[in-house]
Amino acid sequence: MSSPLNAEPEIGMGRRSALGWLVKGFLSLWAIGAGAVGIAFLKAPEKEKRPAEGVIRCGSFSALGIGEARFIRHGAEPLYVIRVSETQVLALPAICTHLRCVLKWNQTRQTFDCPCHNGAFDKNGNVLSGPPTRPLAPYRAEIQADEVVIRT
Amino acid sequence: MISALLLAAALTTSSPNQCLLCHPDVRVLFDRSRHHAEEVTCTACHGGNAQAITVEGAHSGSFRGVPKRRDIPALCATCHSNVEKMRPYNLPTDQYALYQTSRHGQLLAKGDERVAVCIDCHGSHEILPPEDPRSSTYVRNIPATCGKCHGDAKLMAAYGLQGNPATEFAAGVHGTLLLEKGNLAAPDCTRCHGAHGATPPGVGDVDKICGQCHATTRTYFLQGPHKAAMDKAGLPECAACHDRHDNRPADVGMLDKVCLNCHGADSAQVKLSQQMKTSYSRASEEIDQAHALVQRAAAIPLYVEDYQARLEEARTALLESLPVMHSLNLASVESLTGRGRGIAREVESELNGKLQGRRWLKVGLLVFWFYLLITLALLLRFRRKAVAESSR
Amino acid sequence: MSPDPDRPRSSVRGWLEERFNLTEMFSFLTSFGLFPTELDARRPLKEAIAEALSRPFPSYARWPRVLGILSMLLFLFLGVTGVMLALYYQPTAGDAYASVTTLVRDVSFGSFVHHVHGWAARLLILILLIRVWRFYFQGMYKGPREALWIVSTLLFLVAAAADFTGRLLPWDQHGYWQTIRGMEVLVALPVGGWVLTFFVGGASPDTLVLLRFYFLHVVVLPLLLLCLFYLNFSTVRRVGLSFSPGESRSGTGVFKVHLYNLVILALLVFGCLVTLATLLPSPYLAAADPFNTPAGVRPAWYLLASHAFLQSIPTLVPSWLRGLLLEAILACCVLLPFLDRSPGRAASQRRFALILGVAVLALWLVFTWMGYRMEVGR
Repeated sequence: MSSPLNAEPEIGMGRRSALGWLVKGFLSLWAIGAGAVGIAFLKAPEKEKRPAEGVIRCGSFSALGIGEARFIRHGAEPLYVIRVSETQVLALPAICTHLRCVLKWNQTRQTFDCPCHNGAFDKNGNVLSGPPTRPLAPYRAEIQADEVVIRT
Repeated sequence: MISALLLAAALTTSSPNQCLLCHPDVRVLFDRSRHHAEEVTCTACHGGNAQAITVEGAHSGSFRGVPKRRDIPALCATCHSNVEKMRPYNLPTDQYALYQTSRHGQLLAKGDERVAVCIDCHGSHEILPPEDPRSSTYVRNIPATCGKCHGDAKLMAAYGLQGNPATEFAAGVHGTLLLEKGNLAAPDCTRCHGAHGATPPGVGDVDKICGQCHATTRTYFLQGPHKAAMDKAGLPECAACHDRHDNRPADVGMLDKVCLNCHGADSAQVKLSQQMKTSYSRASEEIDQAHALVQRAAAIPLYVEDYQARLEEARTALLESLPVMHSLNLASVESLTGRGRGIAREVESELNGKLQGRRWLKVGLLVFWFYLLITLALLLRFRRKAVAESSR
Repeated sequence: MSPDPDRPRSSVRGWLEERFNLTEMFSFLTSFGLFPTELDARRPLKEAIAEALSRPFPSYARWPRVLGILSMLLFLFLGVTGVMLALYYQPTAGDAYASVTTLVRDVSFGSFVHHVHGWAARLLILILLIRVWRFYFQGMYKGPREALWIVSTLLFLVAAAADFTGRLLPWDQHGYWQTIRGMEVLVALPVGGWVLTFFVGGASPDTLVLLRFYFLHVVVLPLLLLCLFYLNFSTVRRVGLSFSPGESRSGTGVFKVHLYNLVILALLVFGCLVTLATLLPSPYLAAADPFNTPAGVRPAWYLLASHAFLQSIPTLVPSWLRGLLLEAILACCVLLPFLDRSPGRAASQRRFALILGVAVLALWLVFTWMGYRMEVGR
């Protein structure tokens, strides 16, 4: 079993080994690709996008002035966090209970005004005037390390 | 014999109202009433002697019998306008004063006894407070109560009143909300017309009444030229376009019809209305398009909660533009519809970008297959070599 | 075995060789169908593999005999993608759907892995079913291949069970209601039906049932499949490859060539899975709503025939008897080698079996079509 290759080892060697390395490199791309896919797959998605652990993060507490409200976009159910005192926050849904328009915070009156049919809610969610019949259902807001956090 | 039985009955009952022995049909009604619960006796309205068990004894003294219709308001007022008597119940005492200013009261003073007096709305013996759902003055029962007379076409024709407000109201938005859906925030007859001081609103006062709830719309209406023009023309402001009792849900389609009631089809005003309508409709279409795109993206799925929230804001802006239209200020309307459109366009372009990006997946697939086929070729070559080796 | 001190070898492998019998460890290659014969455990690993590669391997070992190793390959893909999915999936009724959404939407290649897993599952069941039919029509249940037949039918049934348990896991409308429809069949079986329903925690899915389904899908059924695959390849090695009458037995080659065939096959399967996953992904559906039955949810396709069969028997027959009938038919299928009375494998000797086979296949197709067309939720 003498292979014609063995007869001329010197001449073919250099080219063969280069080609061999090229082929090995080409084929090893499969392994590299699989590895890259695997690592990308394993990377945990950002905290906001993880399955509902029941927590909505609402930004810094100290950056919110007393009597100010911050609008938090949360998909189809946005909300407001209002700082009512040095140490307390309230969180309410930003959707009017009448026909689901998005409420606006009125800083001077400290009320949520609905631009659609003039509904108004106080900062605890009670209906002050207008067509809404149901009050806003408050969320449980806590302060954790200067971050306002809501547990759903 | 009968008197003996009555005597026996009288001695065994402890009722202060012996009248009800002879008038059992009234007793059935009266026992349910608020007056009975507060121990108001028959004599308060009818006079006479409530302790007597004979007809002569009972019908003696201050006995009035059935009061005459024109005397009834004053009769009720003897208690209900007395501040000290009403204070423990915290009841108002201005009903009689209001009544005298009302159309009913004015006509009664002129001698017309067909108009409503207290008992027509409140009942006579079976009077229940308005908070009681069985009461004829309970907010959801009021349209029927008013409708007893105001739905009688023959009776109303004598006063020059047309239509049946009760049925019209029931067909409208307010009626549906109040009567079918039980939404107590919806107005009944008394909310717009007053209860005891019931008067139709004056032509220039309609906006004040509708504006009690529709305050935003009223604000914009007052800014526009319609208020002065309609008052001068004797048109009932809001009711001129939105009907009096059978108010339909308002939408931009109205702009095609109601403006023509006063303005010519080629007039600048109708042109303006069409511009407002177009502005709104275009924005609405754009938002719907964006919404459809969001649905498509959600089916992949892509992260769409943010886009849904922004589209809600866009719809809110659009909804806000409807009251603003009453000011006839095209610029303000367009700023709101423009905002809605802008948001919808942003959402669409961002989503389209994301969806286009997914086209690269197909390109990636081709690259993958290219790579795979080369690998396959290499493997076949190695295989052939192995075959050649093995056949030696 | 004492290592030859003159032979140069890599220090790591040599170190391990002195402490473990690596060749014995790599015998799984034989057990699971990659190598046709055992590796010689007396030789060091590299030598044993080289020796095995140069063993003769009949070159007629081609299609359609690939179905066995093909199903093993698909099972491997399912295992790998399944492990990847399990790194994100949460098996509680409250979190399952959200975890799958995160996986499919926010994780890089998450939707890709998810769809590859789904397509591999569908292909696996299809291949196993085709394999069973192929064995039937080629008489490969007659001795000494009875065990092969039983193992193959069981492979199909267990794979179908794994698919069934897997459908509930995303906790979407389709999977939830399909499971309920499927459990109707299970509950109707008199022998063992109530045991299985008891084991999964009830007939209607809630969070405990989901957990049991998850356990079955991820641990029990894959282990069972592994055992069945092991038995399958073991019996094939013992009994040898079969030939249809008249098939040429000539041709030689070495196993190394066949190994290349296998690698090429694996590459093509991978390519197909990637293509199917990219071009035909399954749609993303709404979360399960126990109070809202969507229209047009049918049981899984392999259950359609049994569903239609159970419903088509007149209601005079009590439901337990209908279930018993279904189980009897299944038992006959599995125990076919002991029921078949034909003298040999040749088609002429099995005329009745062949006719019966065609009839049963036709009936099964008809029932499947009927099940597909049946109104949901009668």
